[in-house]
Amino acid sequence: MNVARRLLGLVWLAGALALGTGTAQAHPHVWITATSELIYAPDGAITGVRHAWTFDDMFSTYALQGIETKTKGVYSREELSSLAQTNVESLKEFKFFTFAKADGKKEKFEEPVDYFLEYKDAALTLHFTLPLKTPLKSKELALEVFDPEFFIDFKFADKDPVRLVGAPAACQMKFQRPNDGSANAQKLGEQTFLSGENSNFGMMFANKITVECP
Amino acid sequence: MTPKSPSRFMSGLAICATAAGVILIFDGTMHVLLAQTPFGGPRPTAEPQVGGIVGWLLARQSEFYREMSSAIRAAKSDGSAVWTLLAISFAYGIFHAAGPGHGKAVISSYLVANQETARRGIVLSFASALMQSLVAVVIVAICAWLLNASAKTMCGAEKAIEILSYALIAAFGARLVWTKGGGFMRALQAPRPALAMASAGHGHGHDHHHHHDHDPDQHVHDERGGHSHGPEPSELAGPGGWRRGFGAIFAVGMRPCSGAILVLVFALAQGLFWAGIAATFVMGLGTAITVATIAVVAVSAKDLARRLSAGTEGGGTLVMRGVEFGAAGLVLLFGVGLLFGYLAAERVTCL
Repeated sequence: MNVARRLLGLVWLAGALALGTGTAQAHPHVWITATSELIYAPDGAITGVRHAWTFDDMFSTYALQGIETKTKGVYSREELSSLAQTNVESLKEFKFFTFAKADGKKEKFEEPVDYFLEYKDAALTLHFTLPLKTPLKSKELALEVFDPEFFIDFKFADKDPVRLVGAPAACQMKFQRPNDGSANAQKLGEQTFLSGENSNFGMMFANKITVECP
Repeated sequence: MTPKSPSRFMSGLAICATAAGVILIFDGTMHVLLAQTPFGGPRPTAEPQVGGIVGWLLARQSEFYREMSSAIRAAKSDGSAVWTLLAISFAYGIFHAAGPGHGKAVISSYLVANQETARRGIVLSFASALMQSLVAVVIVAICAWLLNASAKTMCGAEKAIEILSYALIAAFGARLVWTKGGGFMRALQAPRPALAMASAGHGHGHDHHHHHDHDPDQHVHDERGGHSHGPEPSELAGPGGWRRGFGAIFAVGMRPCSGAILVLVFALAQGLFWAGIAATFVMGLGTAITVATIAVVAVSAKDLARRLSAGTEGGGTLVMRGVEFGAAGLVLLFGVGLLFGYLAAERVTCL
């Protein structure tokens, strides 16, 4: 018997098994183009985040299914109000895909306010504001927007993805896009994937906003 | 005549490999299970990035998906765009199925657990993909086209079906564990398995084992080893196997793909429902090809393991029953994990 052949076979077996579980990661069904505004109070404390999320046209059409309108293909803000309500209620389960940390400590958000949907160019845009439970004056604020389950692919707009509104002049904002496969296909090989280094899968798709106020 | 010691060595090697395989599976599963909290993973992660095959797959499938909506729009005015749509759908199906939610893991584990052949694996993969397409079309036809229900209702229906599907997978897995556990136990108690052999070191050769040694390339489906020790062939793939196989595809296939539902609703809104239906089935065909490929790899890997452990004194049977038992356990684990949301990546998100 050929030991080498058997060993080779075993490696193949292990590889096949690893492949079966290793590649079983999520894939998105909804694409969102986002812009976010960080809202500051006059005293320099951040009070909340105002999001505008534009859904891809396929999902927009899906979401509009069954909604009655006076004019076909035209959706007013009022006609979309119940859908907007559904959206923000559903988003609660997913913590609005918005995760904040102030000086390393997790911060919570209140229920969203000022939410509405807008239909333009065959796409729906959900506007909503997430107030922080307690307004903060932190040295460093980190905000991440992403779906840990990667059902939704969040991409921030190319132009003005994140804005600070009313922030103290000394505050510095940094925005970091996720290192997605299309941008970095060559950078790392499979070994990173299979070694378990990336076990927190969804994190890879996080859009990171950091604000430093000295 | 092959001397006894290499054979024993091989048997040990096969056991080690199986153990390694099982550990690998559990490791992989645990990663999926633990990849839950948005902040602070189970261990500090290095700067995470998507690269290589997986990143490439994700990028391709996003492209195809985006192109699908424009192809449907184009088909409204230009009939020939339907062909483009079908081509994209096919490609999308192939790439898309590389992600979760198409029962690859469940189907592959089932095939390994239940001693199925590669041919049957292909048939089951196609049947489950066909069923997934059919369910998607039926949901959209009833909810959107017939009842003009809202997305919320439709997604709710999708979620209910999904939970039912996961419960069925878990039940199916439990049943497999029950049957395969029996086979494994009997193999453990069967005439002097490798464990005893290895320690005691007294080996009485049986002629038919040597037969295996002479013909390493002998076709492995004939269950020659299985006849002489361990469970009876009636437990292996047989007439009841098909029925059980369809139980598996029913459990897996009843959960529609969210992508297909989105495409169908989109096509319906453009007044091209039929094009959406055609795209869904072509997508299913692509999905089936990917799932079948993975299923064949799984079955071949198992056949290989069987071949490697064959010709060892009874230990081969034990190893194989162990692999089957482990695979049955995986089906149960997948079912329970999906049902209780540990495998969060495979959940429908209703917005």
